[in-house]
Amino acid sequence: MKHDYSKEHALFLRRRKRNIALVWALRAAVLILLFGLWELVTACGWVDPFLMSSPSRIAKTIASLYRDGSLFYHIGVTLWETLAGFAVAVVVGFAAALLLWWSETVRKVLEPYIVVLNALPKIALGPLIIIWFGTGSEAIVFMTVLVGVIVATLNMLAAFIETDQNKLLLMRSMGANKLQILWKLVLPSSYPAVISMLKVNVGMAWIGSIMGEYIVSRAGLGYLIVYGGQVFKLDLVMSATFILCLLAAGMYALVVLLEKVLLKDKDR
Amino acid sequence: MKNILQFQSVTFIYHTPRGELTAAKDLTFSVDEGEFVAIIGPSGCGKTTLLSLAAGLLKPSSGRIERRGSLGYMLQKDELFPWRTIEKNIFLPLEVQRKKDAAQRERALSLAKKYGLGDFLKSYPAQLSGGMRQRAALIRTLATDPDILLLDEPFSALDYQTRLNVCEDVGNIIRSEKKTALLITHDISEAISLADRVLVLSARPARVAHAHPLDFGDVPPLKRRELPAFPVWFERLWRELNA
Repeated sequence: MKHDYSKEHALFLRRRKRNIALVWALRAAVLILLFGLWELVTACGWVDPFLMSSPSRIAKTIASLYRDGSLFYHIGVTLWETLAGFAVAVVVGFAAALLLWWSETVRKVLEPYIVVLNALPKIALGPLIIIWFGTGSEAIVFMTVLVGVIVATLNMLAAFIETDQNKLLLMRSMGANKLQILWKLVLPSSYPAVISMLKVNVGMAWIGSIMGEYIVSRAGLGYLIVYGGQVFKLDLVMSATFILCLLAAGMYALVVLLEKVLLKDKDR
Repeated sequence: MKNILQFQSVTFIYHTPRGELTAAKDLTFSVDEGEFVAIIGPSGCGKTTLLSLAAGLLKPSSGRIERRGSLGYMLQKDELFPWRTIEKNIFLPLEVQRKKDAAQRERALSLAKKYGLGDFLKSYPAQLSGGMRQRAALIRTLATDPDILLLDEPFSALDYQTRLNVCEDVGNIIRSEKKTALLITHDISEAISLADRVLVLSARPARVAHAHPLDFGDVPPLKRRELPAFPVWFERLWRELNA
């Protein structure tokens, strides 16, 4: 880096830095203010902590969950279901998109069925899933897959089909066969779409696993939320929701990081 | 001299659900070995259809197309794959045609070096200027040592300055490699500055309305533009195009 910038540029850089710091400070302030206010109104008895819970009660609940060893058990169950459902949905969706890209006839025939499946609220299949898969983790993983797989398929198919027509023409003029076109052009040019599909599907997987746990479960964060609601333990509901926020945000941050690493130095 | 490409009363009809459209009718012409032929025509006369026919990507409705040997296709934009380095882009047709042995690769690399891409082999297309990218696209087209080059308005996506330079570039490279080429363009001056022979197409359905051998010989493109015969040809082709 050269440092012979003009004064004006140095000023610009300083202002920019200050601006970024300010935004972060304000973000933290909003959080602190929100939690502080929440704590205040419940501690002073203006709002019933039995209905609203409070930051300190959430902290206590999480600490007691940690002490009796169930904190990481529930987190583990939900995480496993989410990741397993995510992985299966992504792999199956990708393979299905490949098949639909390969054969235009198959694509045309299956199109209305995919549209209907996509529009169907997956939670409607809840009872069927319980009957088919029982009340264990398998049912929840299956629900997660259901929620994610159609979205993954449609996303990938759109990317495959959008491959640049001129580049396809170029490949064909070289005498490339379909497999070569797929391998050398369609897949590499869909790479950014794969990353964005992963990003969308992380969100889908959380929806699927929590929804699954609402319908049928004996453990997991979704289970804690439902159970807490049924026995009116709002502290438990809030605590589980809070942990869920942290996990979802963490997983999203990981995907964004992965995206940065994978798309580095690529001009697209 | 033998024919590399020959169209014999070729007719091509496009079919769409709304009807049919005769893009070319009774089209007859040929390209000799080592010759640079330019085809100009009014816009929408089916120039790109003609190249797709020549490349064998479309089959004629009637008539015959004969092509001896292999072909290289160059499009309006460079169409370099952004995820491949220049070197890997140049190797692409070799990979596709499974000719990626050491000798073939060496030949492609020496072409790249000869025409000033030596320092950019490990660069990605985005790091090159428009002119250099189009040059890389030409080297990619030449990598398989094709018997005929099909050029589909290969300069039309460039700005005017670059366009003149790349036209000069491409013209000289094709001449010094002694390649047969068929150029399709709507740009009259490009046709005159590059070709040995210019064919003027009629409006749709396309057929060859006029054919003119030019007598510039090996004069390079930019030099041709300075010759007194240049505006004369321009004027004449302009009138024929608008007839």
